[in-house]
This record gives sequence, C-alpha cells and structure tokens, in this order.
Amino acid sequence: MSRYAKITETLDWGILLTTVFLMAIGLLCVYSSTSGTGSGIFFKQLLWICIGTVFLVVAFAVDYRNLMYSAWPLYGAVVVVLVLVLIIGREISGARRWLIFGPFRMQPSELAKVFVIIWMAYWAEKKKHIIIHGMRELFFPALVILVPVTLILLQPDLGTAGIVSFIAAAMFLMLGIRRSTLLTLGSLFLAGLPFLWFSLKDYQRLRIFTFLDPSRDPLGSGYHAIQSKIAVGSGGLIGKGFLQGTQTQLKFLPEHHTDFIFSVVAEEWGFLGSGLLIFLYMMLITKIITVGLKAKDRFGALLCFGIAAYFTLHVFINISMAVGIFPVVGVPLPFISYGGSFMVINLICIGIALNVAWRRFIF
Amino acid sequence: MKPNITNPHLDEDIKSKSRYLIAFVFILLGILTLRLFVMQIINGSYYEGLSRNNRIRIISVPAPRGKIFDRDGVVVADNRPAFNVMVLPEDISDPKNISMRLAPLLDKPASEILQAILKGKSKPYDPLVVARDITFNQVAKVEMEVFNLPGVSIETIPEREYLFGSLGCHALGYIGEISKRQLEEKEGQDYAPGDLIGKSGIELVSEGTLRGTKGKRVFEVDARGQRVRVLDEKEPIPGHDVKLTLDQDLQAIARQGLGDKAGAVVAMAPSTGEVLVMESTPGFDPSIFAVSMLPQQWKDIIGDPMHPLENRAMRGAYPPGSVFKIVVTLAGFHAGILDPNARVFCPGHFNLGRVVFKCWKPEGHGSVDLVEGIVRSCDVYFYTLGRALGIDAIAEVGFRLGLGARTGIVLPDESPGLMPTKAWKRKRFGQPWHPGEHVIAAIGQGYTLVTPIQMAKAMSAVVNGGRLYTPRIIAADKPVLERDLGIPGRQIDLIKAGLKGVVEDAHGTAHSLWDKEISMGGKTGTAQVARGYVSKLPDESDIPYKLRDHAWFFGFSPVEKPEIVVVALVEHGGHGGAVSGPIVRDVIKGYYLLKEGMREQVRQDN
Repeated sequence: MSRYAKITETLDWGILLTTVFLMAIGLLCVYSSTSGTGSGIFFKQLLWICIGTVFLVVAFAVDYRNLMYSAWPLYGAVVVVLVLVLIIGREISGARRWLIFGPFRMQPSELAKVFVIIWMAYWAEKKKHIIIHGMRELFFPALVILVPVTLILLQPDLGTAGIVSFIAAAMFLMLGIRRSTLLTLGSLFLAGLPFLWFSLKDYQRLRIFTFLDPSRDPLGSGYHAIQSKIAVGSGGLIGKGFLQGTQTQLKFLPEHHTDFIFSVVAEEWGFLGSGLLIFLYMMLITKIITVGLKAKDRFGALLCFGIAAYFTLHVFINISMAVGIFPVVGVPLPFISYGGSFMVINLICIGIALNVAWRRFIF
Repeated sequence: MKPNITNPHLDEDIKSKSRYLIAFVFILLGILTLRLFVMQIINGSYYEGLSRNNRIRIISVPAPRGKIFDRDGVVVADNRPAFNVMVLPEDISDPKNISMRLAPLLDKPASEILQAILKGKSKPYDPLVVARDITFNQVAKVEMEVFNLPGVSIETIPEREYLFGSLGCHALGYIGEISKRQLEEKEGQDYAPGDLIGKSGIELVSEGTLRGTKGKRVFEVDARGQRVRVLDEKEPIPGHDVKLTLDQDLQAIARQGLGDKAGAVVAMAPSTGEVLVMESTPGFDPSIFAVSMLPQQWKDIIGDPMHPLENRAMRGAYPPGSVFKIVVTLAGFHAGILDPNARVFCPGHFNLGRVVFKCWKPEGHGSVDLVEGIVRSCDVYFYTLGRALGIDAIAEVGFRLGLGARTGIVLPDESPGLMPTKAWKRKRFGQPWHPGEHVIAAIGQGYTLVTPIQMAKAMSAVVNGGRLYTPRIIAADKPVLERDLGIPGRQIDLIKAGLKGVVEDAHGTAHSLWDKEISMGGKTGTAQVARGYVSKLPDESDIPYKLRDHAWFFGFSPVEKPEIVVVALVEHGGHGGAVSGPIVRDVIKGYYLLKEGMREQVRQDN
C-alpha cells in the first residue's frame, strides 16, 4: 500500500518530536518534585504517557473526518456527564468536579474542552458557505456552547468555564465575525462582568483579592504565589540543577507536581530551561496552526486552530500563575504536569493534529 | 517528491486571520518570556537571596478532638496534653551528635534516634516525632538543653484518652494513624500522613464532628535552625463534642455481669430506640491504638482466639433459641391460625413422620395453652405452631420486626443476621426446605441468626405495643420510627402475660430471677451449637467450650409500661436463664437505682 509507505515522509515530525521532548522534560520535573515521597507518581505518569500514546495512535489512525459524524453524539455525552457530575460527583472543597468510579476518577469538564473544539469545527464545516458571521448566524452555536459552559460554572469551575468559552470565542474569530456584532458582544460582556463577580464563590473572590495583594493571605493561596515566585526567580540563568531546587524540595507547595510544576522547571533549570520550554510550546503551537492552514477542509483547519488555542491558554495561564501575573487557578501545564486524564486528552489533541496534517496528502 | 498541496477550498479569509492567531500566541508567550527574563536574570540574585534565606518553617497544629460524653454528661473520651519530641531534619546538621545528646535525656538508645532522623532526611521540612508522650521530668531535661539542640523541639499534642479503659470500647471505637486508603478517600479535607483519624465505632462515624480544624504555626528560624520568631499562627479549632445515649454506670454493671466470658449486652429504651448499654466482651483498651502501638500488642489483639476487636452486640450473629418463640407467636397471630386458648398436649416429644423432635423437658409439659407455652418454653407447643405456619410465614413477621437486616444504627460493621426463607435456601444450597426445618425453626434453631442489637430492637417493638424504632446511640439524633406493626393490643397483652410469667410464675423458666420489688418480664433462650449434646451430659462443664450452648436472655421492665429492654448473650454460656438472666436483672436493677438518683451506690457496688 503506497499510501502507508509514505508515512515517514508525510508525518509531521516537528509536532511529534516537540511533544516527546516536552513529555521528557515533564517526567524529569515530576520525578524531581516527588522524589523522596515514595509515592510512585513518576511511574504512574510514565504509565499514563503509555496509555495516552495508544490514544494518540488511534486519534491519528482513524480519519479525522469521522469526528464530524460524532460531533453531536460526543457533545451529548459530554453534557450528560456534566449533569451527572453535578448530581453524583464527589464534592471537594466546595466544588463538584470529579466523577469517581472505584479507583478511576475523571473530571468531565476536561473532556468538555476537546468536545467543544470538535463541535465548533463541525459546525464551521457544515456552514462553510457562511463567510462572515452576524448575530443571526452566531445565535445557535453560541447557545450550544453555553450549555456545557453553564454546567461547568455550576460546579463551580470558573477556570475551565473561562477556557472553554475562550476557545470557542477564538474559533469564532477565526471564522470571521461582523465588526458591528463584535462591538455589541464586547460591550455586552463588559456589562456582564459585575454580575459575574457577584456570582463567584467566596474562595474564588478571595483568590482574586490575594492575587492583587499576596500578603493579604500569606498562608493560603498568596503563600503559594510567593513561594512559587521565589522558586522561579532564584533559578537565575542556569538554575540550581536537577533535584537541587531548594524551594521545590521544600514541600510547601502542595501542588508542585501538578499545577505549580513550572516553578520546578524554572528553579532547577533556570532561564535557559524555562525559556527552552516556552520555545518548545511556541514551536508546537505554531506548527499546529500551520497544519490547520494547510488542511484540506474547514473542519480540519478549525480543529487545529481550536487545539492551538487550547494549548496556548493552558500554557499561558499556568505559567502566568507560577510567575505571579495571574491569580491562582487550577490549570495544569500540558505534557508537564502530573495528571492522567489531562495527559491522555493532550495526546489525543496531538493525534488529531497529526491526523489533519497527514490526511491532506490523501485524497 | 514530497507533495505540498494547499487546500483550495479553505477560504483565504481564514488564512489571513491565522496570522493574527500566531501573533496572539507570540505576544502571550512573549510576555511570559519577558517576565521570566526580569525575574530570573535581572532580579535573579534578589530571589536567590530570598530562597537561600528562606528560613520559614511551617508546622501544622493538630486540633483537640471533641470529647465524647455518656448520656449523663460523664466524659468517656477526652484529650490530655502529651509532650512529643520533634525534630526538623533540615535543621539538623550533625544527626549523630544530636542523637548522642538526646539519648540520655529521653532514656532511648542513640542509634534509634539517629535512625529516625536519617529516615526523615528525604523529607527534611516535615517535622517528625522521635519520642512520643514523654514524662514531665524528661520534658524539663530536654527543655533545659534545647538551645543546644538546634532542630529539636517539644510540641504539646492532645493525646486521646479513654477514661473508662475498655468499658464500652466497641461502641466508642478508637483512633489511629490514617491509612493510605483513608488518605485517598479524604482527599481535599486537609488530612496528612501521620494524622490520627477515627478507625471504628463512634470515633469513625462522628469523625467529621469530632475532628475540628488544624491550625498552623509559621515561624522563622536562624541559620542554625533555632526558632527566631513566630511569623503567623492560626489556632486550631477544636472539634465538637458528641454525647451518646449510653450510660457508663449501666455499662459497668453489664461488663461485670459478663465477667471474663465472651458475650454482649444491649439495653434499649423501647419507646425511643435509645441504646443505653452496648457492651461486648472481651474488650480492649482503645487508647493503645492512638499512640504508636508495639507490634507485639497488635499481634496479641489480632491473634487472640476470643477476637476482642469484634463488637458482638452488632457483629455477632447467633441462633436465637427460644427467645424466637415470641416471633413465632406473632407470626401465628399474623397468619390468623393461632387460638391462644387452644391447648396442645406435650408428651415430651413431637413426631413428624418417623422423625422425633424432643422437648427440652423429656417428661413433657402436659396440656399447655399459649401463655403456659411461653412461660414454660414448651418446645412441643411451638413445634406444632411452626409446622402449621411454615418458615415463610414466620420469616414474614421476622422481617417486619427487622430480623435478617441491619438495624440501621449508625455504627459501622453491623451484621445483618439471617432470616431464612424457602427461596433463600433454594438459592443458597439448591435444596428445598425440609418439613423438619419448619419445626426446629419455630424454637429458634436451624439457619436463623440474630444479633443482640437486632434482638433488642425487635423485642422493644413487641413490648412497646408494636412500634419498631431504629436503635440510636448519638443523643442528638432524633428517634426514628421505622413502622408501626399494627399488632392488636389483646395479642400484645397475651404475649406480655407470658413473658411476665417466665419470671413470676413458679413454673417459669427464669423464675430464679424473680424479685418482688421489680416488675419484670423476659424470655430465656438456649441456642444449641451442637445438636444432642445438651441432654446427654449431666454436667455442663463436661462439654467442650466450643460446643456449649449460647445463652440468651431478654428482659424488660416494668411490664405495664416498659422503660428498658435488656438483651444479654453469653457465648457458649450454657442455659440462658441461669447465665444471661442475672446479667439482665442486674442491669434492670441498676437502671432503677440510677433513676432514683443513687448513682454513688451503683458505682460503689461496681
């Protein structure tokens, strides 16, 4: 089969290798931040990478256009689990985010991010005759996106709800929105902000206050922010070296193998390491956007743009949090943070991007 | 050749806009790079200084656990201050030296202390305990030296104390170091490895109430690890107290009655479901679980053939013996086939085909009606009734009385017992129900298994006129009426007349308990473990322990308007009336003494 013989030539090696490189850095950091705890988190992460790779291969091998037919069913499934999590989810510190089945647990709002990308791309493909979108054209897709967003807000998980709406907004913008519509929506959003503020839970408001003034709460989230900043800053140019980060080995940051893992990179590998990491993300994301540009249909293009937006937001929010320019919200760093379902979803995204890149050679 | 096909369908518009997307990514990531450059290169040395001098230490302060009271407000579980010697491995530069100097102060071998410190080296910022619960004398000695011992400190820690030792230990439960599984279950609730947590009994079920909120102490240390000043302190919030429905003085009477025998006593207020006594023997001292337990102690408890950890009041399921005849009587009424005045002739045995079932009294009871049947516990009377009813009709009423199901008391690890039916046997053994099994089921032998708490619940419903209450042990919980059985008053009166006669009538099986000052009714039960042994050997002590009968007694008082129901079970105790009866009578007597305010006298008697 000649069509498979060319796989080595036609595969987007840039995306694949960057991903592998990022995961290798991630493993080193997870190892460092959990060394001496005997928790076996490193090996769990390794296992999740293997599982994720299987998913990547599947996401790559099955023609991505099949996703179009599953856009509605997947969307329906996500809405169902989001409702389910509100009813039977495990409540942890005031929020219902986790579904727990024995040893297996998942955060349905993570899935929502990817499925919203797929649905948006599907919709764009279906309506490819529309070039510029006004209120009338936007009404239906906006409604469709608002359902999962509202369900996530009810958990409440402000961060994820924000990310989902932001991805959707970025994809709309790529499709083209009439200027007047854009202005109207923008002003509506600004007008809605105060309402949003009052609908926040106390601990969420507290986080925003602490972000503005970390010394308000030196023991709570402000403490994380300060310790994380010290960790990042003290890395200097070349860092303190692998396993040598004094802040990291201080077990003050309870989430330093998940949400605060960037401080491990920055402290132990310095500006060279953190700069390299950001460079790798930049490579990966621009590569994915380029794939989207060359895609043979609107569906593939929008999938890639959505995935690019997804990675960008995670990287930006997570690192901003670690360097103290964003409030402490629970957003992990793709390929680096410890977390099973997150890793699997990221690798599925990569699989889809590779899929889009490869299929443009096949007619 | 590598084909490079651009998509002709993709609108040019989107293409041009993707430039904005890329620009957007560059700007965002550029901001981060810039920020990192400023932090790591320009201000790097500033942060480095902060990190080198990061001499902030955090110690979490455990909250004092809520107390547990009995129904009269007597403290049953309390906290006492204990002094632990802690080290922070990070601040110990010379572990060998420190352990050599600590050893004589703590009367511990230096090698042991050294080992503990070295073990903590992988987590240098987690304080660890090198000596638990040291004496006041030792505290003074260490305190004098502490400025010479950087990294060493004495922390006052509330240690759990059970003031009555093993009395009521099964209901109270115990606390111990949190397990890995519990840590995962309690994620997000601020538990850390090494924390103490409720493991069984009330300590487990009321963990959320008792626990309180941990505090934190943040302090600065100097280069030598000495505490310079406290930067911040968050006081722990003590846990809430829990008041039980148990009465410790009654518990003590029950315990004394059980003595060194294995068994259980449950006392309930029949009209509310309040559990006044829940005692199971042998017991254990719950306080040894809270402090680090020696492996030998654990082995002793686990390996004890009498299973002291087992709460026999709820976990122990036994054949109910003749106490079950009350259930069968109700089933007879329920099915409408029982005429209380009809007489049955007991020749000392009952024939079913060619099989002969003996009455416990070989010479027979002669002609008996229902009340006499209960008073004298005539087996033949109930064989006849049981055969007429069949097991399913008996089980129907058994289920209504809560048998074969957990009682719903909040304590964990309750056994549901067993209320067999024909369908159950077919499913369990693949065999039909044999006619003879209807007969023996009627005297509480065979497959039926009942726990003491189930018995107390069911008998409470019988004597209070048919209202089935869920047993409850936490005073703040509201009474839960599960159902009103709707038993006609006349039927209750007849049964109660029988139960009264068991004690008062000269022919009653528990007449030895009769006390003219106490209005009391009850029913004996002698549950055979090995069939046939009972009547063959003249002296009970000749029977091997494990084959001796279980002794049941259920009593209530006063007969007219019962205030207390007591169930006692002695494993392999022999005859119910003789062994368990006196325990029940003593608890009832104690109940009245306490009611009359003679608590001091009760305590002295014990």
